[in-house]
Amino acid sequence: MAKLMSLLWGAGSPPCWRVMITLEEKKLQGYKRKLLSFEKGEHKSQEVLEVNPRGQLPAFKHGDIILNESCATCLYLENQFKSQGIRLIPDSAEDQAATYQRMMEGLALTDKLNSVIYYDCSVPEEERHDSAVKRNKEALTAELKLWEGYLENVAAGSYLAGAFSLADVIVFPSIACAFRFGLSVGRYPKLAKYYSLLKNRASIKTTWPPHWVASPQGYDILKDL
Amino acid sequence: MAKDMTLLWGSGSPPCWRIMIALEEKNLQGYNQKLLSFEKGEHKSKEVMDINPRGQLPAFKCGDVPVNESCAACFHLECKYKSQGTKLIPDCEAGLAQILQRVFEVNALVEKSSNVIYYNWKVPEGERHESAIKRNKEALTAEVKLWEGYLQKTSSGFLAGKNFSLADVIVFPAIAYLYRHGLSEERYPKLTEYYKNLMNRPSIKATWPPTWKETPGQDILKDI
Repeated sequence: MAKLMSLLWGAGSPPCWRVMITLEEKKLQGYKRKLLSFEKGEHKSQEVLEVNPRGQLPAFKHGDIILNESCATCLYLENQFKSQGIRLIPDSAEDQAATYQRMMEGLALTDKLNSVIYYDCSVPEEERHDSAVKRNKEALTAELKLWEGYLENVAAGSYLAGAFSLADVIVFPSIACAFRFGLSVGRYPKLAKYYSLLKNRASIKTTWPPHWVASPQGYDILKDL
Repeated sequence: MAKDMTLLWGSGSPPCWRIMIALEEKNLQGYNQKLLSFEKGEHKSKEVMDINPRGQLPAFKCGDVPVNESCAACFHLECKYKSQGTKLIPDCEAGLAQILQRVFEVNALVEKSSNVIYYNWKVPEGERHESAIKRNKEALTAEVKLWEGYLQKTSSGFLAGKNFSLADVIVFPAIAYLYRHGLSEERYPKLTEYYKNLMNRPSIKATWPPTWKETPGQDILKDI
């Protein structure tokens, strides 16, 4: 099964990480994978464009099936391999609804994080404004406070939608990214607890971005949030 | 059942429209609903915040459970009411994958549309640049061409597979939004065919934004 799967990925990219966590959780280790470099522009290479005409990572194939949106890939894997590994979408309708809700909200979190962390990459120099940077930081702060609230009762086994689920697969990488980029542990204690509870989960530890392991000291762009 | 569901919505909002189409397709008419006005700021009212702390529409509850993200709500409805109404997600692997891929790709389309349509609303006057407006238009043009290409490759007239699916529920409102804002019908023949074909589908006709019937559209996208 996993042998028919291939993943083109980039280190530290939350969407790529989501797919890798899911593959671990569904016991689909052994898939073919190739680490590409964003800095070298390898995400725009012919190899990627053949799988993903958008020139983005992750680019995932299962036989002839192509899935380039990380949420799509994770939902597909959970659906196709429901009875294997951990159940990532619960059975009960109410619990499912809560899982889907947090999953989709996770995309808003990722967007707001990107708008701060990658401001200089996405906005040409002549168009940058301190007022925009400030506004993006305020929007991210409000967003993080929302998640801090969602995790009010976080504990082992009690995460974004109860037991570990696809909501955590989608959202954890962005939370990890936030701390990597200097988010204050003191100001966001629940997020910090969530982060420290899950960072040692097998699927997460195994797929931890390699360059984060090599250089544990991250950046501090988010330290004032 | 439908009576246990509540939807607070705004006219012309694609995310609201998606849920309404899904409810029709699953034969869940009879849900409690209330039309609110974005212009009057009603999306920030207590009534909305009680269901959706983000102060956004749609604000949707299934019983006591809030499911405000439109894709989440649509997935939930299809899963919970799988055996009633239209089947929006097929059983086969490849069909599911295509649908999921298109569903999540819609975010790129929505973002790029909104960067053009709402540029002045999103960007304060002192921060606006002609270069940004030009870049946003180019990005949207490339995005629309991608979707035109997707429809050229399908022969069924639907976005994924042979039948109307969750991909169409999620994506159609975003396409209709483009035409409402002046997208050229001639420049994108397959997209136009898709749009005109689906606008007569009962679930879509029944939930067509009321304000779109009352007022003319805009032409901000005519050069895309």
